[in-house]
Amino acid sequence: MPSRFDVLRVTTFTKRYGNLTALSDVSFSIRQGEVLGLIGPNGSGKTTLFECLGGVLPADGGALLRGDRPLTSGERVASVFYLPDSIVPWPTEPVRWALDFTIGFFGGRSEIRGEVVQRLGLEPLLDSPIWTLSKGQRKRALLAIGLLMPQPVLMADEPFEGLDLRQTREVALALRAFAAAGRTMVLSIHQISDAARVCDRFVLLSGGRACGEGTLEELSALAGPRGAASSNLEDIFLALT
Amino acid sequence: MRSPKSAFRWLVSKEWRELVASRSWWVLLVAMGPLVGVSFISAVRTYGEASGLNGTSAGVGEAFSPLIGIWAPTFSACELAAAFLLPFVAIRLVSGDRQSGALKLELQHPMPAFARVGAKALVLAAGWLIAFAAPLAAILLWKSYGGSIYPPELATVAMGHVLNAGLTIALAAAMASLTEHPSTAAILTLSVTVGTWIVNFIAAVNGGVWERAAGYTPTAMVAEFQHGLVRLDVTLVALTLIAAGLTFAAVWMRLGMTVRRRAYESIAVGALAAAAIFACAFVTASWDTSESRSNSFSEPDEDALRQIRLPLRIEAHLAPEDPRRFDLEHRAIVKLRRVMPKVQVDYVSATSIGLFEQTSAHYGELWYDLGGKKVMSRSTTADGVLETIYSLAGIAPPIEKDDVFRGHPLAVPPKGAATVFYGIWPAAIVAGLFFVRRRRV
Repeated sequence: MPSRFDVLRVTTFTKRYGNLTALSDVSFSIRQGEVLGLIGPNGSGKTTLFECLGGVLPADGGALLRGDRPLTSGERVASVFYLPDSIVPWPTEPVRWALDFTIGFFGGRSEIRGEVVQRLGLEPLLDSPIWTLSKGQRKRALLAIGLLMPQPVLMADEPFEGLDLRQTREVALALRAFAAAGRTMVLSIHQISDAARVCDRFVLLSGGRACGEGTLEELSALAGPRGAASSNLEDIFLALT
Repeated sequence: MRSPKSAFRWLVSKEWRELVASRSWWVLLVAMGPLVGVSFISAVRTYGEASGLNGTSAGVGEAFSPLIGIWAPTFSACELAAAFLLPFVAIRLVSGDRQSGALKLELQHPMPAFARVGAKALVLAAGWLIAFAAPLAAILLWKSYGGSIYPPELATVAMGHVLNAGLTIALAAAMASLTEHPSTAAILTLSVTVGTWIVNFIAAVNGGVWERAAGYTPTAMVAEFQHGLVRLDVTLVALTLIAAGLTFAAVWMRLGMTVRRRAYESIAVGALAAAAIFACAFVTASWDTSESRSNSFSEPDEDALRQIRLPLRIEAHLAPEDPRRFDLEHRAIVKLRRVMPKVQVDYVSATSIGLFEQTSAHYGELWYDLGGKKVMSRSTTADGVLETIYSLAGIAPPIEKDDVFRGHPLAVPPKGAATVFYGIWPAAIVAGLFFVRRRRV
């Protein structure tokens, strides 16, 4: 049974590409207002899981539950937004237009537009077409789009990819600030050090399977019998996967 | 979430910006001027040369119809652009979202997939109508030369090319949605276009079912509209195919659905479209909008033919490629079908060209069967066909009125057309491109 703090529960998600199983019975919970890190190496199934949850890739099995009830397609669309990595949406449009479109088309949160722009340092980039932005600038613009979306849960794929150390810290602070204001974040991260810096809880994913879920302390306790009772997330990850 | 209407308006606005940002649309616009220009200039020259020889007479009145002499060739440039340029504009607009990743974001809005495709189709249609400014310039030039314009036939020609563009847009959207990469979509779209040409070719050689199918290809549809003939069945089939293509595009745009489900839905769309097209084939209404009534018998003949209630069957022993069969079909049968819905024409031949059947005793015979009364004739002209039918029906041929279309001869050179289409048009488009780009930055 999901705990009373859980807002959503991902249960037994499975995805196969022919003979290859990309996801195998992946289950975990997403609690309201938390920053949940989906940790795993490249190819562990993070993006596939996000795409299935976001409804842009069909899953072979599994459900997204609120309480004990599976969400309908409409409820899922209203609850969860998936922000892909490595995309260049509306490339010829300036960042300002992309943010306006997010608010206008998706019914985004116009009230936090200024704060999002300021926290992500987008003010100088507002009139630049998206295709002209550097990788890090584009990532910040994408995060702004994600943060403006109206859904309570934001699933961002590799939110720190392409950012330098300073930018990573600033973005992590921004994400934490919006989470503190009630926004739930699920972040797929392959750099474990980045994940440890920003996330409240973690789901460890390896080979398409969820190998552990919990806070650093909970995962440390879980890894203890395997000889890795450490507070270092990297050691815990290696012990559990 | 905002109201669906507001979201749709945003989407249309976004698609419009994407269209304006795409180079393919600007290439289409630039090319339209010279394409229309070369056709128009050539048509006006030929029309002028013919008009300057001996004036006009009732016998060659049709030759001086601007519909056939000017508008059919001028608008044929639109057919060329629709076949070879418009698909790339449509594919760019539909595939662009998939390539950039924007589709993954936009699909997370609860808007129905058909509305998404509809927004793209609307914008593409608007883009095509803007390209129509080139033939519009030709109309203005013709008017400035003192040429005659008959709005109903001109509107029919334009309608045919708008429907043709609609078919191209729907086909390209379906292919772009189905395939991962734009180049694959382009190959498939052009393959279908070439496929319809092959159907036309096979129909010309084999006749029969192929001939009936070829009647609904874009080329045949445009040809009828270019002759001022609006057939309701052809129009409905075109609209059905457009709707089916856009629905197919909407089905395959939903990346979150399993391929199997999308395949089943596509089969259902195909089956529904086939049923609708089959039903459309029974619709017989048509309108001849040409000033010269080139698709109709004279009014007295039509009144006389309407009095015949019995079903008429014609068995024509003519091969598909025999020129007499073409004459019979286009000069007589097409007109006959419009006033006598109960006409059945069966072509009988052992070969496709008929050259080696000439020695056969029955080759070239046309057997008429009207309510059991039979008669044979060899005439394939409209007058010959009418004469045979009147004699079978026991009706006296009506007296012809003296209001035969005598045409609108005009012996003028295409003055200023080259400057407009080869100079001003491309310059205006390039200036428009720079203006739009400057405003966006």
